[in-house]
Amino acid sequence: MKKDKTVITVSDLYKIYRVGETKVRALNGVDFSINRGEFCSIVGASGSGKSTLLNMLAGLEKPTKGEIVIAGEHMEKKSENGLVRFRQAHIGFIFQSFNLMDTMNAIENVALPLTFQGMDRRTRTRKAEQMLDMVGLTKYKKHKPTQMSGGQQQRVGVARALVVEPEIIFADEPTGNLDSRTSREVMELMQRVVREKKQTLIMVTHDNELAGFADRIFHIRDGKILKIEEKT
Amino acid sequence: MRIGDLLLMSISSLWKRKVRTVLTVLGVVIGTASIVVMVSLGLGLNRSTMQNIEENGGLTSIQVWESGNFDSETSDKDRKRLDDELVKTIAANPHVELVSPVLSISVLAKCGAYENNLDIRGMSGEALARMNFPLASGEVPLAEDTLAFLYGNQILAGFMNSRTGSGYWMDGTIPDIDLQNDAIFIIYDMDSYYNSQGNQGGSGAGAAAVKPPKKYIAQCAGVIDGGLETYKSYSWSVYCNIVPMEAHLKRIFRGKAIPGQPLTATGKPYKEIYYNEIYVEADDMEHVAEVQKWITDMGYQTSSNTEWVDSTKKQYGYIQAVLGGIGAVSLIVAAIGITNTMMMSIYERTKEIGVMKVIGCDMRDIRSLFLLEAGFIGLIGGLVGIGFSFLISLVINRIVAGMGMEMTLSYIPAWLAGASVVFAVFVGMASGFFPALRAMRLSPLAAIRRG
Repeated sequence: MKKDKTVITVSDLYKIYRVGETKVRALNGVDFSINRGEFCSIVGASGSGKSTLLNMLAGLEKPTKGEIVIAGEHMEKKSENGLVRFRQAHIGFIFQSFNLMDTMNAIENVALPLTFQGMDRRTRTRKAEQMLDMVGLTKYKKHKPTQMSGGQQQRVGVARALVVEPEIIFADEPTGNLDSRTSREVMELMQRVVREKKQTLIMVTHDNELAGFADRIFHIRDGKILKIEEKT
Repeated sequence: MRIGDLLLMSISSLWKRKVRTVLTVLGVVIGTASIVVMVSLGLGLNRSTMQNIEENGGLTSIQVWESGNFDSETSDKDRKRLDDELVKTIAANPHVELVSPVLSISVLAKCGAYENNLDIRGMSGEALARMNFPLASGEVPLAEDTLAFLYGNQILAGFMNSRTGSGYWMDGTIPDIDLQNDAIFIIYDMDSYYNSQGNQGGSGAGAAAVKPPKKYIAQCAGVIDGGLETYKSYSWSVYCNIVPMEAHLKRIFRGKAIPGQPLTATGKPYKEIYYNEIYVEADDMEHVAEVQKWITDMGYQTSSNTEWVDSTKKQYGYIQAVLGGIGAVSLIVAAIGITNTMMMSIYERTKEIGVMKVIGCDMRDIRSLFLLEAGFIGLIGGLVGIGFSFLISLVINRIVAGMGMEMTLSYIPAWLAGASVVFAVFVGMASGFFPALRAMRLSPLAAIRRG
């Protein structure tokens, strides 16, 4: 595929946890880069370090050593508030367990990141409605999460991640709580939307089949990248 | 985040946990109510005493007398008299709002068979108006062209039947006199009167017969309200305007000394009338002591209620502090309750807080959310607590009134109501501060741990 501008560069990344006396190397020297508009999956077994990698890319965890440069900015050097502001502007996040606010309806949930940015109610509601239309939940705008199926909830989650128009979207086992048919639907939705908007999507999963939706697949084991599979 | 959104979010999360919110608020309600009621008791006592003082001569008034501190060697010239000059001097002081000379004279009043020794106090119309006498009938004698009297509420009780010797204080019979309408005669020249009385019943001691003095009919301006049993500082006095009084006295005692007025070394009266007392009203309670000292330094004797007021204030200040302290204990307990509730809430919402952080909620906003929640608990608790306090206060005052005491024991002024709500909000936010910090520092990682 055509090489675009690099959006994420990871070099020599280590994460070492101290559990009692022993050191656990969750990440043991990882180098890679991801280009703008790419859809990448990170695949590995449980405990392989794939979630740790995602957390550090999203700035939720500090690396022990190494550099992460996203959109030209060093993540490892930012303060917690700096990271929050960076996430507000550049990053969308899709969770495995959806993590929607139970007291809010679909529109309010999708608009929440915009609320945090201090956007006025009218604008953010309009944007949230557009996003919900896009993920096919036009009829469910006023529904609360408890009134929706898992697939619908994850669509709301996708809409929430995309509403801030981020450059990069992180998805942590986005279909982990869904059945296989719904999983495919959600995956196709994510793939379509990301392609349309030329956004970068990085997804962590343990399911090889779902990983196949990506342009590139990073196989990770014992804190190291085993191989990078490129689809053409 | 916008303030409106912050408020909405914190209210909705309180709403989500209604039972716990209500219980926590209840703690604040009890805490606020106990402080407010306790302080209101102190304030009520204080106010009752102040009203008492007010009725006994006022909080800002000062009485000025001639200094009794002189001996026979003090020459007549050096004697500091209370004259118009002094009235003018005192009036010039910026902290003095009102000055009135007081001229008092003892007279005998007769009404049919009834007799009474009256103490007549002449004051300026301005001062009389200022005294705010509660009137049973008539009006305050403000007119400066006619002499009219305003009778104190216990004056009637002082009339005695000179024939039977019975009176209110002897056997409880109320004298059959209508002060407002009956003709009352006043004898100003008491010396002559008693001399003539002595003659009549006399055994002929050889003294020349003295003609009884002239009686003057008294015009009644009004009667002060209060009944025969209630004693106030004005109960035993008869008030009148000093201007017609002076004129009247000068006419009656033409060429003679007015009783009570000083005489020259040769026994002649002065041309000018000297006053028995000067009544001064300061503009503010704070300035009473200052004005009083200024007049004392000029060589006069003064008296005011300042010391009484000061010691009362101090005393009730202590009582208030002790009562407030007792009330504060329950608010502290409520504050701990708030902290506990907020802590629980944070543990419960660890995931929610984490998600909020991951999707871009500022640390400051998270802190604000929790502070606002705690503040709302304080606000609601404070408001309900104040309502509750008014209710308790009402009940207390009913009970006190039921026991026949004429006082407001529990008094909640507006400032106390306002201050306690503000304080409750403050306590709420202070209790929520550490939980809020904790929430702010929670790791966003908690959100995406699978569970």
